[in-house]
Amino acid sequence: MISLLEMSGVSVSFDGFRAINNLSLQIGQPELRAVIGPNGAGKTTFMDIITGKTKPDEGTILFGEDNLSLIGKSESEIARLGIGRKFQKPTVFEAQTVRENLAMALKNPRGPFSVLFYRKSADSSARLEEIADEINLTDHLTRPAGELSHGQKQWLEIGMLLAQDPQLLLVDEPAAGMTAQEREQTTDILKKAAETRAVIVVEHDMEFVRRLDCKVTVLHEGSSLAEGTLDHVTSDPTVIDVYLGRADART
Amino acid sequence: MKNTFIARNPSVLWFLAALGLFTALVTIASEATGAGLISTSFVKTLGKTLCLCLIAIAMDVVWGYCGILSLGHFAFFGIGGYSIGMWLMYARTEIIVTESLAGRTIPATPQEVSDAIGNQIFGVVGSSEFPLIWAFADSFWMQMAFVILIPGLLALVFGWLAFRSRVTGVYLSILTQAMTLALALYLFQNDSGLRGNNGLSGLQNLPGMDDVSQATVSLAFFLASAAALALGYLLFAWITDSKLGNIIQAIRDDEARVRFLGYHVESYKLFVFTITAIIAGIAGALYYPQAGIINPAEIAPIASIYLAVWVAIGGRGRLYGAVLGAAFVSLLSSWFTGGGAPNINLGFYTVQWVDWWLVLLGLSFVLVTLYAPKGIGGLFDKLVRKS
Repeated sequence: MISLLEMSGVSVSFDGFRAINNLSLQIGQPELRAVIGPNGAGKTTFMDIITGKTKPDEGTILFGEDNLSLIGKSESEIARLGIGRKFQKPTVFEAQTVRENLAMALKNPRGPFSVLFYRKSADSSARLEEIADEINLTDHLTRPAGELSHGQKQWLEIGMLLAQDPQLLLVDEPAAGMTAQEREQTTDILKKAAETRAVIVVEHDMEFVRRLDCKVTVLHEGSSLAEGTLDHVTSDPTVIDVYLGRADART
Repeated sequence: MKNTFIARNPSVLWFLAALGLFTALVTIASEATGAGLISTSFVKTLGKTLCLCLIAIAMDVVWGYCGILSLGHFAFFGIGGYSIGMWLMYARTEIIVTESLAGRTIPATPQEVSDAIGNQIFGVVGSSEFPLIWAFADSFWMQMAFVILIPGLLALVFGWLAFRSRVTGVYLSILTQAMTLALALYLFQNDSGLRGNNGLSGLQNLPGMDDVSQATVSLAFFLASAAALALGYLLFAWITDSKLGNIIQAIRDDEARVRFLGYHVESYKLFVFTITAIIAGIAGALYYPQAGIINPAEIAPIASIYLAVWVAIGGRGRLYGAVLGAAFVSLLSSWFTGGGAPNINLGFYTVQWVDWWLVLLGLSFVLVTLYAPKGIGGLFDKLVRKS
């Protein structure tokens, strides 16, 4: 397995609070990885750092075949390099139709002038239909995204990520607020996506992580506490302590 | 036919038809054609209104579509007016001075002519020297280029600095207010080179066209304003209909998300800010020859706030809404403040509309914001959907 993303010794503090503490992590291409951890473990900050929203104080992050450093690059540059991000709260553009949402995400030139003079090509239309089919929204293409149900919005957002065709997909709590059936479909979509690219899923819900059936990284106080299969990490005594929050009480 | 520009934007056709009809009616009824049903001064008012509609659709694109509440677009409007005003004033004064010097036995040297023109223009601020910014005032084409270049460059530099630092929301609005205020205060100074608070005047008199009556001139400007509005409307309808239109609306709704899609949000904002500033400059260049005078008070911060009020009342995010808002409110405003509305005598108090109009405007702004957030244009949408 080739390494796609390599984080080493990354730290960041906010007003003296170390949100990420000497974190090192390697993601292969392709790979499906779940990142779990209690509240405040630094899961969101971890994503913010990779996507360029937060600048780390120290450490290196290398991405892709050419080992490009992501540090100092803007959010949009990083996104164009091939890193997509899905937020916890579904953020689609509600005033615009499902088709327009997907079209904006499709991999095409991103400069203002090429966008102004952009003409729909048969290729991108076909790709758009394909994605709509994958996320079960073919019948809703002309509806404003604001009219969709919560679960459909989540899918639309996943569809937009697929349209971006990233090499690395960061997904924040995809199963939040979904019905059991929707969860199952989400698992399928994520697994399928991970066949050709790297997918990092940040999740709270152990049942969902179990269904993903992949390597798990446990974050705690900004660093990696354990790594391995779900069974492996859940039998780790330090992980049990952290999750139960009784590490101090017992000693 | 299903997916053409017009099919996707039926309002463009309706708008152009309505504007064409209106223009034809005014032309037929104007004094220039002999019918004389509409006075020349009212033709000017209508022509000016069309220019205000043009800057209003620019404002709608920058605010209603892209979400940047710029409270400084009237600065660009004013710069457009000053640019063309400088040429109008210079060229006309030059003709007058040359005529008056022609009778002398010894022909005047170019220096004497220049001094005499300077004296005429700047005597009012106690000077006769031409400031550096008047270097190209004798060239119509240079000043026309400035109508586009100066607002464009100012918007580009200002926008680049503001957007690059990720100034958004109310802070950006305050910054744009500061820009237009600073410009107005600078122009108020006598040594600003633009005649201080006197501004530029006599702009309604076109150089070398003394034989042409004001009725004809005003109709020509009215038609030019209508053409500019039509072209501006088409330009903005095309921009907002393009994929760029989708992106800027997405920036309005969630700019962080657009960044993570890989779009450089700042470039988009800069593009919209600059192109709308250029259109505002063009609108100003057509407006002030009809108004006849421009002075720094025109670009006071309140003017840009009015612009936002027009667009809000007309309905943000739809171009015809901005046109309706600007036309409706500015015409109503000149009716009330121009003594058109009869004062109401309540016995113990007389409601003077000159003073009370602003209260009425403020009240209707509050009511629109509360009860019709989509403005007059939103009511139109409801009618269309019902039928």
